[in-house]
Amino acid sequence: MQIVWNEIKKILTWKSLLLLLIINCILYFFLIDFYIKHFPNGRPALDSYRLGIEMIEKYGPTMDDEEFKDFMKTYEVRVKEADRYLQTEKVAVAEGIDTYEKFNSYEWFKASKEAGELRDRLFFEDGTDLFWELQERSRLIGFYEGKEMYSSNATPAQLKRYEELAKEGVFGTYPEVAISNFRDYITNVAVAILFSVVAVMSLAILRDRTRHIVSLQYTARKGRNLLKTKLLAGFVSTLLVITGLLVIYMGLYSLNDTSMYFNVRVNTFIGNESWYNPTFFQYILFTIGGIYLVGIVFGLAAMGFSTIVPNTLTLLGAQIPFVRAFSFSACTD
Amino acid sequence: MIVVKDVSKQYGDFTALEDISLEFSNGLYGLLAPNGAGKTTLIKMLATLISPSSGEIQYNGENIIAMDQRYRELLGFLPQQFGFYKNYSPAQYLLYLAALKGIPKQQARLKIDELLAKVALSDVKHKKMKKFSGGMIQRVGIAQALLNDPKILILDEPTAGLDPKERARFRHLLTDLARERLVIISTHIVSDIESIANEIIMIKNKRLLYKDSVEQICDTLHNAVYETTVDFGQLDEFRKRHVLLSEKQEYGKMIVRFIHKGEKKDGWIPVQPQLEDVFLYEYQDEMIEGL
Repeated sequence: MQIVWNEIKKILTWKSLLLLLIINCILYFFLIDFYIKHFPNGRPALDSYRLGIEMIEKYGPTMDDEEFKDFMKTYEVRVKEADRYLQTEKVAVAEGIDTYEKFNSYEWFKASKEAGELRDRLFFEDGTDLFWELQERSRLIGFYEGKEMYSSNATPAQLKRYEELAKEGVFGTYPEVAISNFRDYITNVAVAILFSVVAVMSLAILRDRTRHIVSLQYTARKGRNLLKTKLLAGFVSTLLVITGLLVIYMGLYSLNDTSMYFNVRVNTFIGNESWYNPTFFQYILFTIGGIYLVGIVFGLAAMGFSTIVPNTLTLLGAQIPFVRAFSFSACTD
Repeated sequence: MIVVKDVSKQYGDFTALEDISLEFSNGLYGLLAPNGAGKTTLIKMLATLISPSSGEIQYNGENIIAMDQRYRELLGFLPQQFGFYKNYSPAQYLLYLAALKGIPKQQARLKIDELLAKVALSDVKHKKMKKFSGGMIQRVGIAQALLNDPKILILDEPTAGLDPKERARFRHLLTDLARERLVIISTHIVSDIESIANEIIMIKNKRLLYKDSVEQICDTLHNAVYETTVDFGQLDEFRKRHVLLSEKQEYGKMIVRFIHKGEKKDGWIPVQPQLEDVFLYEYQDEMIEGL
């Protein structure tokens, strides 16, 4: 145990922790910060987020036909409010857009200057949420009434699965803003963690070789078995690095305040087709598990390279293609 | 007792050692040969870092590779390049190595204090080694080799980086240690071992040349080492005809020490051969190649 602990201390030095800090600060500001600072990102994302919470509070994690009727009723009430609002606007009355229905079907590309100014004022200046909200409600109604998943480019097997889900009443109904944000966030977090793991673990074994310490280690009682201990220490260190970073990043993610969505199933979010249908919270846990898995694979691979390459430069050269390939595929997915 | 039985070592087509047979019991052995002669290969095999390509090495009748941990428990080793972590202090580093040697922490702390005192590093035991001189680092290396109180102590070029005072101190230390254990020192510096080794082992052309006491090895040049005075003008001619061991300028002439195995000439004073004379004589070709 003492030897494992010694090897861990050799990997997690203050220098490597400083390296972790630098890597993560850089990647945080380049890749991750946006998804915390700008969530929900503008309109109608904010309305989408708020409506999602309202739906969960009223109907729970799913919405059935009866509940949809209630959703429609709320929509109609809000439309009437919009009608009343428009009727108080002289320009709206003069332009013949004194109801929300007319406002919606108005040919805005032919709009007069006054009408254009009115629309801009309603959406961007008055601080009125109503018109943004109605747009989003209308979009959600469209999705519910469509009662289907996206099926573009779906394979026959996927189509069959969509049909099964639709029969069970599972289709994209709830606003996707929370889960989309999480997907983008966690992808970039995974890239940051992967870089961190590779950076810290790469020199774990090579360092002893380049400093001519291996002959001392292998002639001690422990002997060549030390390599196994080093791998174990590397594994534990990888877990510690991943866990530490995940605690920090998930702590930061909690600022997005999406816990209300945790019980909603993935396939219930618009445009989030999945073979399995975990809740959002389970999905978060799966992604965390995935990060551990990929992190461990890359950590062990980094140590593997570390045992065979002759120097640090070769080590970096050998690993860059793998890390780049993963980062590229993660960022493009 | 360690027995090296018909050991050869090959790296692909290159033969590093050929058919070496040796026996070691308690005492101090000096493995003497120029750089590249195969000393380190033999040392690495004795330290189980590499295995012989053929033949075997036994300790008390048992193959040392098969003995595995039991053999390494008996072993103290200082490699030619003693590696260390720059940010560790000697105390930290020795504690790290003590754990690898299976020494309990409390016992290790006591031993470390004792050894650091022995190698005169007590004052700097908590200082980071990155600021240490080569000699200080080498002394840490010597201390680590003694951590487990080894029965077999193998030191590869242990005096590299040590100043003359440290070398003298080191020789005394080795003499004490060799009283009750087997100590093998590999070196190309004759003075390191000439006065302290019970036996000298010399390797030439990958094969064992000598394994004998200093006196017996020196006897091989009995009546063959001379000193004489030579004019400067004759010196080049003299160098071509004899194996010169040393040259010293005195009163406008050169006093030369040389080897001649034929008939003695007038003015040549026979002198007692030294181990260095044998070394220079035996490895004259290799040293010229190395220049």
